[in-house]
Amino acid sequence: MQFKTMISGVTALLCTTALMGGQASAQEQEVNVLLFSMPSTQGLQKLAGDFEAETGIKANIDVVGQNVFENRITLSFAGGARDIDVVHTPVIQVQRWVEAGWLQPITDLVENIEDRDDILAGPLNSYLVDGEYWAVPFFAETGLMAYRRDILEAAGVNPPETWEEMLNVAAAIDSGDTAAIAMRVAPGQGFNMFVFPMIMRAYGGKFFENYPDDLTPALDSPENLEALKTYITLMNDYGPEGIGNFNFPEVVAALQSGQAAMTVDGTSIVSQAVDPEKSRFADEFVLALPPGGPAGRSPAIAVHGLGIPAGAEHSEAARKFIEWATSTETLTKLAINEAYPDFTRASVAQNPEVKAKYAGIQDNFLDLRVEALNLAVGNYRPLIPTWPEIGAAVGENINAAVNGLMTPEEALAAAQDEMEAILDN
Amino acid sequence: MRDSTASYRVKRGLGIAMMLAFLLFALLPVIWVIILALRPAQQLFEPIWRSPLALTLDNIYSITRSDFPKALVNSFITAGCSTALALILGVPGAFSLSKRKAANKFLASWLLLLLRMAPPVGFVIPLFLIYIKTGMIDTYAGLIFAYTSLTLPFVVWSMWSSFNQIPDELVEAGLMDGASMWNVLLKVAIPAARPGLVAAAVLSFLLAWNDFFFALIITRADTMTAPVAVMNFVSYASVDWGAIAVASIALTLPVVPIIIIANKYIVQSLGGAVKG
Repeated sequence: MQFKTMISGVTALLCTTALMGGQASAQEQEVNVLLFSMPSTQGLQKLAGDFEAETGIKANIDVVGQNVFENRITLSFAGGARDIDVVHTPVIQVQRWVEAGWLQPITDLVENIEDRDDILAGPLNSYLVDGEYWAVPFFAETGLMAYRRDILEAAGVNPPETWEEMLNVAAAIDSGDTAAIAMRVAPGQGFNMFVFPMIMRAYGGKFFENYPDDLTPALDSPENLEALKTYITLMNDYGPEGIGNFNFPEVVAALQSGQAAMTVDGTSIVSQAVDPEKSRFADEFVLALPPGGPAGRSPAIAVHGLGIPAGAEHSEAARKFIEWATSTETLTKLAINEAYPDFTRASVAQNPEVKAKYAGIQDNFLDLRVEALNLAVGNYRPLIPTWPEIGAAVGENINAAVNGLMTPEEALAAAQDEMEAILDN
Repeated sequence: MRDSTASYRVKRGLGIAMMLAFLLFALLPVIWVIILALRPAQQLFEPIWRSPLALTLDNIYSITRSDFPKALVNSFITAGCSTALALILGVPGAFSLSKRKAANKFLASWLLLLLRMAPPVGFVIPLFLIYIKTGMIDTYAGLIFAYTSLTLPFVVWSMWSSFNQIPDELVEAGLMDGASMWNVLLKVAIPAARPGLVAAAVLSFLLAWNDFFFALIITRADTMTAPVAVMNFVSYASVDWGAIAVASIALTLPVVPIIIIANKYIVQSLGGAVKG
């Protein structure tokens, strides 16, 4: 019968293909790299051929979404699978991974890098835990402000230098068509807890009494309260509709489509506001340092590096890969090919092609980035093993306060309690 | 006499309006995804009525250049093979369970149901560790076997009840006429239970096609399936909504003709109509 013949034909074809393709590729010289998706890592994947040409080692670079990455890495590490040789290591996770014994130290690798001084000291030192280096940074983004020149000029106001001024500017420019400001409010240590500490630290607020010597939680301070009130007013009075759930995609969309006139966020977010291919107002957006406060400016900082999991099968090849991926040559190629200037070597900024590219977006783009990186404190988000949990807990309460489920005082008190409980465990 | 009064017309109109409203409600997400798929990045979040003509095929072009088409093929291969494997093993198994006079059938049925009840997370970790040790990670065979652990109990369970509806006399008549048990299965039982077979095949294909969890854990770049590939459009600082919309449509489209073709059989199978 025709139906049967068709079904069995298709089945046979599928299964033959499956078995043929199912053979695992066994190469002597290879390195398995797991990264999560961002322009730098996508760019690195495209350059894998260069690494193979230089070293003769085949790099199997798997670039996956962030959720996929987190699931795979947890299972792989916890199960001792040894299937990954180079792992994307966000600085925010490094303490936890080191404590759990999931990474191997690579101090000798770092010390043997000839032009080691070229690597930005802040990002590199953030991987120094217990006297050893655990990863080499390839990406460092910092906090910047983006504002619409046309809207501010029309309202006759200057770009805000402090969060106090930000409140006045927001009041002056907020309109039915374009909300004054959009920032991340969605809860999460990498979401609202990436942006909120910029306000908190500007007001002189902190997470601990005296980090890293005295880790007594200090969330319920008057400075933190003032910062939280400022954040709530900005978001609820001058933010776009639905701001209570905004995360980075919504913030980017609001800026690009003209729903919001300002933001303060990482370079990778604000850069999208000035990207002429995606943003309708690319020409109008200006980048500047984030606002400050009584305690000065404290731009956010996020560092990503490459580390080697404990017991990795191709440890030597992994070292070569890390050296190649964090070299001036590779980082320069990434800065030219990909969208954002988040490189971690000073000399990349001297490359004429890199200079020309970012000057085309804004004259002082690279200088601003360096200035913000210099202002940023390495422990912007505390570098302790329990931070992922603490950040999540504090983020939930901050979000609840913005959404009106708690008063700011209640939110900080609840966050303080949760922080104490996590630290006691 | 035909009821043509005004009240009847009003009732009928209201009924139609209500149906249309429900239809629109059900279709709204689909329409929205289609619009998203065709909108350029700059107009993605703008109401369609503000720029109704701003449409583009860029999202479709960009997705054809990504890993997604390969992932779609992987989904077809793994879902198709695991369905075939489940049918080859499950149909004779179900037939035997249905028609053999055995004492431990009750136990067998409960064991099967237990397999269906256990959440995948319960066996994915041991499976992952075994696969790592045996080099089955990121192989088609590994994923097909994993999917078969989902589809096989389903096929046995559903075919078992389909075969139960075939009168024993029909099987006995075949045996009396000198046919072997295999021949009875192939020539009598399967044709009689065809609606059930098609329904079991389609539903187990969909079970594997829609899987995210197994593929997330045991695939890598070579065998990644489409549901996992969609997640890769969510990156560190941006979400490619246009690509996600196109990918969602691409994930749904191949299933639509299968459902339409198999619809008749599924309805028959669920209705339990097998003529004796």
